[in-house]
Order: sequence, then structure tokens, then C-alpha cells
Amino acid sequence: MTHTNEFISQLASKLGRPTPIEPPQPVSINVPQYHLSNPEERALTFLTNWQALGGKGTIVKSLEDTVKCLREWFRDQQAIWPNKQQAIVAWDMLPTVAEFAFAALEWPLVRYTQAAQNPRERYSLAAQAELGVTGADWGIALSGTIVINSNPQRGRAISLLPPRHLTFIEVSKLRDNLFEVLEELISLGVPPSAIEMISGPSRTSDIEMDLSIGVHGPIEVYVVVIDD
Amino acid sequence: MTIYNLTIDQLVDKALADDFLRLATRRATDRLRNNKYKATEELGDWEKWRQAGETIRTHVVANLDYYLQQLIVQVEKQGGHVHLAKTPVDAVAYVRNIVWEHEARNVIKSKSMISEEIHLNHALENEGSTVIETDLGEYIIQIAGEPPSHIIVPAMHKTRQQVTELFNPIAGHELTSDTPTLTRFVRLQMRERFLQGDMGITGCNFAVADTGSIVMVTNEGNGRMVSTLPRVQITLMGMERIVPSFRELDVMLNLLARSATGQRLSSYTTILTPPKHTSDSDGPEEFHLVILDHNRSEILGDKTFRTALNCIRCGACFNVCPVYRQIGGHAYGSVYAGPIGSVITPLLEKDWEKWGHLPFFSSLCGACSEACPVRIPLHDLLVKLRARKTLSGHTPKIEQQIFKAYRYFFTHERTLRRVLRLGSRLQMPFVRNGRISGGPPPLSNWTKSRTLPKVAPKSFMQMWSELKHK
Repeated sequence: MTHTNEFISQLASKLGRPTPIEPPQPVSINVPQYHLSNPEERALTFLTNWQALGGKGTIVKSLEDTVKCLREWFRDQQAIWPNKQQAIVAWDMLPTVAEFAFAALEWPLVRYTQAAQNPRERYSLAAQAELGVTGADWGIALSGTIVINSNPQRGRAISLLPPRHLTFIEVSKLRDNLFEVLEELISLGVPPSAIEMISGPSRTSDIEMDLSIGVHGPIEVYVVVIDD
Repeated sequence: MTIYNLTIDQLVDKALADDFLRLATRRATDRLRNNKYKATEELGDWEKWRQAGETIRTHVVANLDYYLQQLIVQVEKQGGHVHLAKTPVDAVAYVRNIVWEHEARNVIKSKSMISEEIHLNHALENEGSTVIETDLGEYIIQIAGEPPSHIIVPAMHKTRQQVTELFNPIAGHELTSDTPTLTRFVRLQMRERFLQGDMGITGCNFAVADTGSIVMVTNEGNGRMVSTLPRVQITLMGMERIVPSFRELDVMLNLLARSATGQRLSSYTTILTPPKHTSDSDGPEEFHLVILDHNRSEILGDKTFRTALNCIRCGACFNVCPVYRQIGGHAYGSVYAGPIGSVITPLLEKDWEKWGHLPFFSSLCGACSEACPVRIPLHDLLVKLRARKTLSGHTPKIEQQIFKAYRYFFTHERTLRRVLRLGSRLQMPFVRNGRISGGPPPLSNWTKSRTLPKVAPKSFMQMWSELKHK
């Protein structure tokens, strides 16, 4: 008998029956879920809740809107970033509007996955960057959350190491509640190695219950909601 | 003298004499409790969510062998390694071997109550390896050499001045004691550690049986650092910390975040299915899951206390407990404090001599049971634990004598009357303003912090017989 078998059969004996061979019948869950009636309301609620957590956000309808908002948010800062060539790290491929907007602004993007051979060099690059740019797979209106699946063209450190994180999300990807997102995750089959659900900036109240932003993760978080 | 060497009475006295601790405990518990009220009310029909949580947890615990087996198969299929630890010593040995094998110098760690339960850092430090706690609160108490005083806010008992004094020698200069300065110092200090970390150790809020995933609920982002950057990841979990699938996570994550801090979701809720895929550009290449029993299987086999395994470690019971609010976490002397700590510590440690006091750290008011998001009848379990302790013969001699005397007098009416009359005379030297204060032990155990009503000049029995004659 292996150690695992022994461990499991000991639990079965504590439970007073043999370990079931068939999966147990899932429990039925009956809780009132939060629902919104239309995409406009969903986008507004998402944004309001994201902002309440300390994030910045806006809804854009066009490329011009996007360029204008990025300029407003980052131009003054960007002007004084010391190493402009390496200041912004991004996914290999951002949502189309985002790609066009950065091209129009002529702000160079470093593609994280291709930036270095060695992971440590990639980390250090991301840690020295001023801004990390990603997309998102879903947003959750109720909690003001963005949900990002990992994959080889993305890189998890982009939303983690730079002091600022900017994400782009289409209105069609917003959901009302967490349950809807989990159901879609289940339908994907095998989950990605990381699913990051991010609700606002890094926060802590560990010193005298005094809220403090940015102890480890990004200090400023931005979201552009693309009206598609 | 560190708090590890004090007796329970000394710990309680120390806590009661510490004005800042008591202020800080009230402040933290009030804040967390009020935030929880707001977050649970807005969800609509919180009772339904609690019931769902209870149903899910009870189902998992009742099928724990099945789900654990499923989890192990999934993790191994994905290339992870699973270690089933019967005892804390097993768990520590396993982690230590991985650290040795990799010659890991820079081990970075996010919050894990299991690591406290098995005293991991202490064991590794004795071997010359250093583990850095990266959660701000855990980092503070690691430098101070103290255990956590609250399950969610571990350094709640430290003043900003104390924190500053702990940080100054590391900074090499005087820091100011405002929160932004202290936070920025830790951010800079930890960055290097994160980037150079060659091994990460994390806790686990939930493990998903059918996908082999680990769910971590954090706010600072250190949990993400520890599970993204190092080449090797070790995750520690208690063996009951399972959900069957993603489907049940909705209820569990809502209950946890809202009950713990009053958030709708924590800043970072991360679902990891390690190790990384070959072509991923970050994430651990090697993954070890350490699953701890430590007498949880005994609790599983004990129908009276099985529901204690339903706990999701949110800390809501701490924040409503009138005892915890007076004395804070250290006075319990145990890794897990608060009502749930008083229930599980004697069961996990199986040592009435050392932990028999814990079920008595309760007024049995039931606020804990009401606060529990998975409806564990905590105050009921505390009463049953008291009975267990008494039946196992671990009551102090003096208490046994007192109850023997009590039984004697109340079955011998005449003697009782005589003793009461005697009592009303003997009490004379200790009566001040109509109340008893002072006196010899064991009376003094009570009177040193409060008074007793004096024995009435005329007893109820006397009055009753006089009334009957009228």
C-alpha cells in the first residue's frame, strides 16, 4: 500500500465507509445573484466600483478617445521618465485600439516575453519599467474586478512589478458577478497556469489599521473600457 | 523575556495591563466587523449565502477522502509533487529537504497559517536557512519575534512607533513613523528579495479538487510575487481546505472576502494551476504541495467536532468575541486565537494540560456562531469541549474539591444553613461598601480584579420559612 493510499483509506475509515468510486453528487447552490439589465449599466457600474477602490478609469468609443485619455493620464509623467525606450512593458499583442493608440502617441512598447532570454532579466526589466500594459479576459461589475488569464504571449509580471498597471477591456467582456466568470472558466476546460483577479491597487492596513496603497504590487491602476 | 516563556495567567495579565493593545484590538475588530456588516448587507439575503457556504463545506468534509484523492491525482498529472504530512514534523522535514536540494538561499514567503502551525520559520532558522516573510504584518512580527495576534491583521498590536523602531536598524537610518514612509521602506526592501527569490512558500485559501488549482486571497500582492517569480514554489495547506470545483468558489470567495475584511473581493484573488506551462514566460517551473493532517483526521472521525473543519479562516469570530476584544490574540498562547482557535487548538494539539484553558476563554454569548460565514456552532462546540476536558480528568484539583464541597452542602441542608451563617460572619474583614474584596486564595483569584456581593445577613431559606409562617 502506498503512502497516499494509506492516507486516503485512513480518512475513509474515520468517515466510516469506503472511499466513493463515483464522484459525489454536487451540492445545489441557491443564492441570490447580482444582475444588471444592460451593457451600458454594466460598464458604468464596473467603472464606479473600480474607481471606488482607488483605480482610474474611463469609457472610450474611438481611437481618438483612447489617445486623448492616455495623453491626459500619462503625458506629464512620460515626459520625465528617464528611460523612455524601456518605460512601458506590454503583452505581445494588446487589444487593437491599444496597439494603434500607442503607435499614434509614438510611445515605444517593450514586449515582455521577447525582451530577454533569462526570466530574471525579464523580471528586472519589468521592475524598472514605469508602466505595465495588459488586456483582460473578463471584468466583474459588482466588485470592480479585472480577470486576466496567463498564456505564453502575456506574462504575469506585467500587471505586478511596474508601479503602474494599465489594462484595456471591451464592454462585451464585462460580467455582472463572479459566478458568471467562473462558469466561463469552467467551459474553457483546462485552466491556464494563472488566473489573476485584480480589484484595485495593492493595499494593506497592517500598520495601526491605517490604509496604505502600493506596498508590493502596483500603486496606480488604470482601466480603459472599450465600447465595442 | 519573550511572550513564548509566559504562563497563560501571565499572558492575560500582560494583555490586560497593555492599554495600547486593548485600544488597538478594539479598533481593529470594530473596523473589520463594521466593514463586514456593510459588505454582507449589500449582498442581499446573507443567510442564504451562509447556508450555501455551510452546505458546501459540510459536503467537502463528508467526502474529504474522495476530493483529496482527486486533488492529488490532478496536481501530479500536471507535473506537481504532493507530500502528505501526518505531523508538523513531517511537513517541516519535507520543506527543509526541498530547500536543501535546491540550495535555496533566498526563500520568500507569503502568509500561511499552516507555516505558523508547524513552526516552519523557527525550524528552518535553526538549520541556518532564512525565510523572509513578505506580508507587511507578518514581516513586522517576524522582526519582533512574535506570533500573529489576529488571523487577518497579524501585527495589529504594534504601534507605528514600535514598527518604526523595528525597521530603523534594517534601514540603517531613522525613518519617520508615518504610514506612507513605512510602506515605501518595505516596498523597496522587499523588491530585491522578490527579484532574487529562488524559492517561494505560499499558503492556500482553497484548493480546487477537479483542476488541481490553488486559490490565494491577498491584498498586498506579495502572494503573487512569491508564486510568480521564484523557480520553485511550495504551497502549504491544511487537508480540509478543498472545494470540489470552480463552481463552488463563487460562494466561498464571497463569504471569505466579505467576512474577513468587508471587501467584495480581495485586491488579488489568484487561481494558480502550477507548475507553469513550458512556454509561459513566468511562473514556477517546479511545484510542491504539502498537505497537512496534524490530527485533522481525528477531528474528521469525531462527529461532535467535525464541523470545526468547515472553518475558512476569515477571522469574523475574533471580531465579535467579547473575550478576544479584551485580551487580543497573544493571551490565548496558541497559534490560532479567537473562538475558532479555542475550538481547534485542543483538538489539533491533543494536549489538555497545555490547551485545556482555551474553551474557557469564552462568555458563551454565541456572537461567534452568529458571525461565522459557514455557520459553525462555535459556542456549542466550546461547551462540549469543556465537558470533554472535565471527563478526561484534567480539571484542577482545587476545582474538583470545590465541586465536591458544593455537592455535599447542597445535599445537606442543615450544614448548608450553618455554613452560610458562619460565612456572613467570616466575610466581615473583607467587606467594603457592601461588597467583598480581597481575601485569601482561591477567593482572591476573583477579587483581585472585581468584587463579590456579600453573603446576605438573612438567607433566602430563612426568608422563605419566615414568609411561610405569616
